[in-house]
Amino acid sequence: MEIKKLLFVTKFEGLCYDALNTLLMLRHAALEHVIFLNVIERDKIAMQRGSGYLKEKEVKLKETANIRFIDWAENLFEMGLEVGAYMEVSRLIPEILKVVKKESPDLIVIGRSHKGRLKQLYAGSDVTELMRRTEVPILVFKHMMEDNILPEKLFDRPLFATNWSETDKKTVEFIKGLKNVIGEIHIMHVVKESALKSPNAHEVQKISKTERKRLEDLCDELEEAGINARPHVYVGDPQKQIERAAKEYQASMIILGSSDKAAILERWVGSISKNIVDNSVFPCLLIPGKKDI
Amino acid sequence: MNKKVLVVDDDQDVRSFVVTVLEENQYIPLVAQDGIEGFEVIEKERPDLVILDVLMPRGSGIRLYRKLKTDENLNQIPIIMFTGIALRSFLKSQKALDEFKGGEIPMPDIYLEKPVEPEELVAAIKKKIG
Repeated sequence: MEIKKLLFVTKFEGLCYDALNTLLMLRHAALEHVIFLNVIERDKIAMQRGSGYLKEKEVKLKETANIRFIDWAENLFEMGLEVGAYMEVSRLIPEILKVVKKESPDLIVIGRSHKGRLKQLYAGSDVTELMRRTEVPILVFKHMMEDNILPEKLFDRPLFATNWSETDKKTVEFIKGLKNVIGEIHIMHVVKESALKSPNAHEVQKISKTERKRLEDLCDELEEAGINARPHVYVGDPQKQIERAAKEYQASMIILGSSDKAAILERWVGSISKNIVDNSVFPCLLIPGKKDI
Repeated sequence: MNKKVLVVDDDQDVRSFVVTVLEENQYIPLVAQDGIEGFEVIEKERPDLVILDVLMPRGSGIRLYRKLKTDENLNQIPIIMFTGIALRSFLKSQKALDEFKGGEIPMPDIYLEKPVEPEELVAAIKKKIG
């Protein structure tokens, strides 16, 4: 599965050209086409007491977006990429879904605000909603440092956390399509403490050996596809261990699959993928499951 | 017989502006809002001239331009590029695509950077198709 077309969703203040720039290495994979989407939230120009519909404000916001898009588009056109742009007054998720239907992108890139906890929760729910309603992989950009420096080589050292779900098969195929941009991938599985029922060391080692063997087989599969891969087994709370592994191996991003079941569950108890997207400092590539599962 | 001019632009305001200019000057306006729809109209209507934007969803003007210029049945249709994208960037994009995809695509007949006055647009159209 190759990334030929990506949809870059921006509110400008949250996801800017530096983020787009780090994605341009995907040209070495298969990237040909970038679609920009700027959604102006309705509440910014909604009817207000005494002022009505703020048409002038809408025009101004659209023109501001247009100037930025033209500037970005010129840079991309000069590289020989195909570029398209949408500027809509709407609600974010329905508009993204509408553009996904029209353009069939291979990847959606969306930013997550770093401006305070409330904003984070709001953006996190956007991503959750999107995960629930599309099968297209979603890259959630983060501001990794306080000064917002993004990793120069975003796809160079990804960490793929597998839980051996059906969605992970799709994830593996997606990773294979990135073989020209991945330097080395770290693949991990977290054994939950609850799975280690026996206090017997031999039993624990046996579980670890089994999981390691599965990871090694997966690494072999990826190496056959031309990607260097290293396996890692961790034990404990998945969210904490994934974050820990990402730091230990200086990951450039975290790759996670997410099933429909997880999306439904997270509405009630929160899923691992949602928690990582909400709390991790690393960019997250989320691979949604098939919607007919 | 009045000549047919197709305007391909995703911006409704721009389409309205160009259509008004065309009607006032006795041309028959045709419209499309993206590169894919534009190509369909061109194949069906065979316009005498195409006024083409660059930055559009569902197939940019750059893609449509190259498609037309490499189609032996359509490559004689004159094209006026009418866009906010600077000519410099357009030329660089063509060069990059020539290198990447092979072949050399001729430059557009006329390149107008938005915004333009109606007189400038009319002069450009008259220069190409009278």
